[in-house]
Amino acid sequence: MVKKRLYLELENCIGCRSCLAACTQCGGHEQRNRNYVYDVNPLVNRQTMPLMCLHCVNPACARSCPAQAIQIHETGAVLSALVEKCIGCQNCTIACPYGIPKFDTEQNLMYKCDLCIDRTKDGIPPMCASVCPSNTLQWLTDEEIEAKQKQFNLDNGKWVTSMPYLEGETNVRVNLPGILQGVTKLF
Amino acid sequence: MQEVNVKGPRDKFFKEIENVRHPNETLVKTHCSYCGMQCGMNLRVNTKTNKIIGVEPRYDWPVTVGKMCPKGVTAYQQTNHPDRILKPLIRDDASLKGTQQGFREASWDEAYDLIAKKFIELQEQYGKDTLSVFSGVSMTNEKCYLTGKFARVALGTRYIDYNGRFCMSSAAGGFLRSFGVDRGSTLPWTDIHETDCLFIAGSNTAECHPTSMFRVWNVQERGGYIIVADPRETPIARRADVHLDLRPGTDLALANGIVNLLIQNGYVDEVFVSSHTNGFEETKELVKEFTPEYTSQITGVAPEKIIRAAEIYGMAPNAVVMFARGIEQQHKGVDNVSGYTNMALVTGKIGRPKSGVATFTGQGNGQGGREHGQKSDLLPGYRKITNPKHVQEVCQVWGITPEEMPQPGVSAYEMFELMEQKTIRGLYLLCSNPAVSAPNQNFVRKALKGLDFMVCSDFYLSESAEFADVILPSVTWSEDEGTVTNIEGRIIKINKAQEPLGESKPDWQIQAELAEYLGRGKYFSHLKTARDVADEFRLASKGGYADYYGATWDKIEKQDGVFWPCRDENDPGTPHMFLDKKFYHPDGKAKICALPYRPPAEEPDVEYPLRLTTGRVVYHYLSGNQTRRIQFLRDMCPEPYVEVHPETAAKYMIEHEEYVRLYTRRGEAEYKVKITEAIRKDTVFVPYHFGHDKSINLLTIAALDPISRMPEFKACAAQIEKLDRTEVQ
Ligand code: SF4
Ligand code: SF4
Ligand code: SF4
Repeated sequence: MVKKRLYLELENCIGCRSCLAACTQCGGHEQRNRNYVYDVNPLVNRQTMPLMCLHCVNPACARSCPAQAIQIHETGAVLSALVEKCIGCQNCTIACPYGIPKFDTEQNLMYKCDLCIDRTKDGIPPMCASVCPSNTLQWLTDEEIEAKQKQFNLDNGKWVTSMPYLEGETNVRVNLPGILQGVTKLF
Repeated sequence: MQEVNVKGPRDKFFKEIENVRHPNETLVKTHCSYCGMQCGMNLRVNTKTNKIIGVEPRYDWPVTVGKMCPKGVTAYQQTNHPDRILKPLIRDDASLKGTQQGFREASWDEAYDLIAKKFIELQEQYGKDTLSVFSGVSMTNEKCYLTGKFARVALGTRYIDYNGRFCMSSAAGGFLRSFGVDRGSTLPWTDIHETDCLFIAGSNTAECHPTSMFRVWNVQERGGYIIVADPRETPIARRADVHLDLRPGTDLALANGIVNLLIQNGYVDEVFVSSHTNGFEETKELVKEFTPEYTSQITGVAPEKIIRAAEIYGMAPNAVVMFARGIEQQHKGVDNVSGYTNMALVTGKIGRPKSGVATFTGQGNGQGGREHGQKSDLLPGYRKITNPKHVQEVCQVWGITPEEMPQPGVSAYEMFELMEQKTIRGLYLLCSNPAVSAPNQNFVRKALKGLDFMVCSDFYLSESAEFADVILPSVTWSEDEGTVTNIEGRIIKINKAQEPLGESKPDWQIQAELAEYLGRGKYFSHLKTARDVADEFRLASKGGYADYYGATWDKIEKQDGVFWPCRDENDPGTPHMFLDKKFYHPDGKAKICALPYRPPAEEPDVEYPLRLTTGRVVYHYLSGNQTRRIQFLRDMCPEPYVEVHPETAAKYMIEHEEYVRLYTRRGEAEYKVKITEAIRKDTVFVPYHFGHDKSINLLTIAALDPISRMPEFKACAAQIEKLDRTEVQ
């Protein structure tokens, strides 16, 4: 099975929040969505962007967990807290540089994006990337991502957002707004 | 004849992906219940309970490759929703009309008996035409077809029309005039991302047809251009190469201005124009006046932008002109359609792959539903009820004589006028919610309330059902099968995933059974299944120009849909129209139309200085009767709002999230203010998905297009009053 990654092209986002609706539909997600879509500048324009768990290679959420409740799957996906281990301390929600983990106060339990592990463990795209109508969220091979990187090279070394900033290397790859700067017009 | 891959066109977005299969579940392949995109989806059905429990993407559908908007993702939640009507409901106390009160459960037999008795009584007293049928196109071709037959054969009334008059009728009128045929898109959607320029007018594509967006963005990614004409900076306009931010209701001036520049600057395809079109010289003369400066005066768009847009469209090797309700829901909607279509005709960018003209079909079956006889003057196969030969052909299939065929009726909004005048006293309403979606609601609601007898078929108690004497429980799209015709003109198959909930029934069955009670059973009793209706319907369309005869369910399955016209078993269908440069007018030529500009019916003045325009949000579908009941969608957009530019807000001293009274000459409503720079300063916008006192259609104007009878939802004059409140009262 060829390894695929979640790839984000933020400039494409149309704010439909289909990714959030679809998140509730993944088998293991108990009808709760686990990521965020932000209005970037709501009083000014309609720009939006998804804020997804980036599945850090060395995740702050898991490092901060005193109970080892946050496991890393062999595919690299950083899983939601194990029900039997999570002590509800909410360290992870503070540790994550992107504010991803959500907290269920009733169950005293953290829950977060697990990259639809039921699907992605078999190479099936996660629900969000399956439905995203604008191709903001895509499920691509490393070669495809490299081709994207070449296509939209900004010459400023900042193509991957989270490197070298914040949490270091991530499994998810992000393309910042401005993807069209490198495009040569057809005529 | 067109080469068609047996499995339909595939493109670079298509990937072979297996679906997730959970234990004790089957997947039923079908399409979304909502918009004209008709995204492919699998419904997850629990094999123990035989109930629909969720959705799984349909990666194998070539148009949308698994993608869905949030309405599609949550569409399955309609089927087993607690609000479903499970038994026929009768209201004995007519004084409660217009409320949800007074309904009691009844048997189908009692309901049919009562309807037949009342309908026959009314017709005996006031004549056949005292009854009316108001229908919709968010249902299968089979249902749309049978509704037309039911009105003419079972009820024998001339008064039938449908909600497409508030949706697609201007596109239909414009295409008929320009091309002689009304197929919403001249090319398949799998061409869209391969063109070099998309000129999109009056379409909030990202919110209304979201799953077009991966193809739209790909045009820019390839170095192509997107030009958007819209009074608002919609998500697609935000990223457009040129955003023509025109005043609502001034499209025709913009179209004439651009056509003028295309002609002046040498972008005319002389050979195409002289061999395949009429009307060029006349049009050239008329548009001369529309210089960039004059066009700018009318539209409010800077001349440089108009010049640049014309230059890009003119230079593009291939280009597609696209539009939607923004230009069509005007009292010159038909002219707007022909006006923008002129761009493609003068430059010859039509009748070949990757170039053409398309309208974004609003309702799921907005295309098919308008072709087969629900329109006041049409019969199956796009035949005319005023053409004796056409009438003869249909009579043969129906088993009636031409003398029995009713005359043409009137358009949707005009039916309400006839109700008001008591020409129409009875109504059978199905698949529509005009008590939210029609313009000038105060008038429409009064007309509904004044009816002697009204039957409403729906699966939820809609705002319109509140005016009914009898409500018949129909099924959702997932409990019946049949075909619909998507945005491309591709006939596709909707499959049944669950047995009808409670005692609900599909509308074709209701009509066949009710015909029996009306003494007209012999014309309907052979229709026992949806496939029976499909077979009769294909036959009835045979020989018409919207010919579905060759589009069998098997072929649809095998080819991933069939593009009409499809005339016989061996015809694969017609993905691209006009490849032979033959148009459907008798002389085979298209018509370039010379169209004098007219302003909106109601222009701003001192009393009403603002321009009001209406539209949709991504979370809701049409009148909202379905989507407002879905938790996720309601959470995302629970109530309407009025969008106001910050400078305009400052003038009225109103702030973000405060409530204001918005009013026009026809009505008023209170809305929360949403401040945004992404709208013109002279314009305010309100989404139309909400009912009762929140309906923006209390304020809209019923100025009708002379040809399509489309009301001018998109432009009227309004005023704001500050209330100094941040809560609803
Ligand atoms: S589904 Fe895609 S386009 Fe829609 S909000 Fe999510 S990321 Fe943005
Ligand atoms: S983005 Fe946050 S939640 Fe996701 S893996 Fe990294 S630290 Fe953990
Ligand atoms: S509403 Fe339209 S775009 Fe959204 S999923 Fe349904 S068919 Fe697709």
